[in-house]
Amino acid sequence: MTRALQIALLQVRIYLQDKSDLAFSLLLPVVTFALMYFVFGGQTHFHATVHIVDEDPGGIYSNALIERLDALDELNVELLSLDKADRKLERSDLLMFIIIPEGFSDRLASGEPVQLLFKQRGNGGQEGQIVAALVRSVADDISLGLQVRGQVTAALVGIDVPVNQIETTVERLLTEERESPTVAVTEDTIGSSPDPVKQFLPGIITMYVLFAIILSARTLVEERQLGTLERLLTTRLSIGQLFAGKFIAGISRGFIQTLILMALSYAVFQIFTPLSFASSLLVALIFTCAASALGLIIASAARTPDQATWMGVFFTMAMVMISGTFFPIEEGSVMETVSRFSVNTYANDALTTLISEGGSLADVGFEMGILAGVIVVGLLLSRYLFKVMPGGR
Amino acid sequence: MPVDYLVAQDLHKSFNEHKAVNGVSFTIYKREIFGLLGPNGAGKTTTIRMLSTVLEPDQGDVTIGGHSIKHEAEAVRGLIGVCPQELALYVELGALDNLIFFGRMAGMSSQEAREQAMSNLKLVGLQERARGRIDKFSGGMKRRVNLAVSLMGHPELLFLDEPTVGIDPQSRNNIYETIEGLRDKGMTILYTTHYMEEADRLCDRVAIMDGGQIIALDTPHELKAQIGPPEQVTLEDVFLKLTGRSLRD
Repeated sequence: MTRALQIALLQVRIYLQDKSDLAFSLLLPVVTFALMYFVFGGQTHFHATVHIVDEDPGGIYSNALIERLDALDELNVELLSLDKADRKLERSDLLMFIIIPEGFSDRLASGEPVQLLFKQRGNGGQEGQIVAALVRSVADDISLGLQVRGQVTAALVGIDVPVNQIETTVERLLTEERESPTVAVTEDTIGSSPDPVKQFLPGIITMYVLFAIILSARTLVEERQLGTLERLLTTRLSIGQLFAGKFIAGISRGFIQTLILMALSYAVFQIFTPLSFASSLLVALIFTCAASALGLIIASAARTPDQATWMGVFFTMAMVMISGTFFPIEEGSVMETVSRFSVNTYANDALTTLISEGGSLADVGFEMGILAGVIVVGLLLSRYLFKVMPGGR
Repeated sequence: MPVDYLVAQDLHKSFNEHKAVNGVSFTIYKREIFGLLGPNGAGKTTTIRMLSTVLEPDQGDVTIGGHSIKHEAEAVRGLIGVCPQELALYVELGALDNLIFFGRMAGMSSQEAREQAMSNLKLVGLQERARGRIDKFSGGMKRRVNLAVSLMGHPELLFLDEPTVGIDPQSRNNIYETIEGLRDKGMTILYTTHYMEEADRLCDRVAIMDGGQIIALDTPHELKAQIGPPEQVTLEDVFLKLTGRSLRD
């Protein structure tokens, strides 16, 4: 075992010696993480800017509309002049803006119907349509409030109730309704999590592990070319010790990158609990072991470093594609059956269960068992290939 | 009375249809430098790879120090050191680190490996550059480190496969002196080279291979005597007479 550890240690030392390679491999997870943060903006829900031309400045209802829109988590409000908004729309700097017409508040107060104008390029784009829906919802709410106040006031005509008491009571009831609606909507999500970080993180982790292993697979082939492998084969080092050393070295390399990626996700997106983090790390470690064993198969079969790289790239891409890592696979479909042949499927399922669904290690026993099986089969197959390939032993 | 140390009997090795080694038998005596010469493709490297347990012979066997390479390969590996033709070194690491690593692979403790590594580096004149990275070394220095690595683990039999290819006269001379010193200390050496004057200077006996077979085996003096007065004939003359002047790939 000491010789196996010496082999692993040597690989790690060589890895640490090449400063540019080291910096690159350690920075990559950070860059990937930064990309995730940039794409998802550190948040996981819709967020957009609504551009408004307020031709009723200072009006009670135009102000109320703007304040209500600005209070929404999903929207920022930016006020523009009509000229500027038109120019921006013309240049496609924005796809849609809203005009609050002159006299908007006065006409509403007198019970006259009013119109908000949505000026847009084409259909306003997907974001514009969502913004428009949100504005309509707020406008409908204001309209409903006004109607209720008007109707209650009309119904109470002749009864000695002060108007401001009617206003206060109606406003209180409407606020209560907004906070605890009579008809509430809850979301019950089946399948992948709607949180993009939680949805994609398992896939990014598994892909990183596989890519790291490809690079490790090259080392055995490079040693074959350099002659150091043959030299090792004339020492007292057994093939079992050689493979154990390469196996451990592959795990070290793959796991370091995974650890960085997961730790950053924990710190910034706060998607883990301490327990789910520890459990996910364990699953990632088992997957790294499986990937390292698969890397040894590639290393034993390939004759040149380039062959090892391309075999690894093909293997990684195939595993990622058929596992549904970045797109959902319909239950019961042929694709779902095919995905069972990808090692990523089991790692992704286990990580998704732990990260997105709040599951425990007990819930991922099947997936862990499959990955353990891959480790055993991978090691045996790589040893067999090493023996039967030319120059092997 | 010479003592047999390596006995090769009827070795055969083929790659697909090509017979690389075809019935090679010879004996190397303890404490001798045995030269294995031959043109490119003669089967020298394949023979050394079989003797050093990297390749298994299709037929025949070899005993080294009384151990069969077929049945006691582990024991054989404990007796041999191999200095391959390629610079089989981890170039990203220092010379000392390379030696210590291969010492550990040869079964030495960390302390033993470090001590022998320093001693070997001194032997090849590189003690001052012990911590220097291999990829910063000149060709001659790399060759000397390659030789020093093969001495880790105190081997009794050393395989030197063209250890002086492409290096300056100073480094070559250092390697010659090192090899002669090793023989004087009791080491048995199998030496291959394309430089005939090198074989003439160093080897006690020489085998000339061609077409996967040994076509001559004797002392350099006796081989030269076969074609003329030894003082006027070179080993290269013998070699060309036996293997011909046609180009080999």
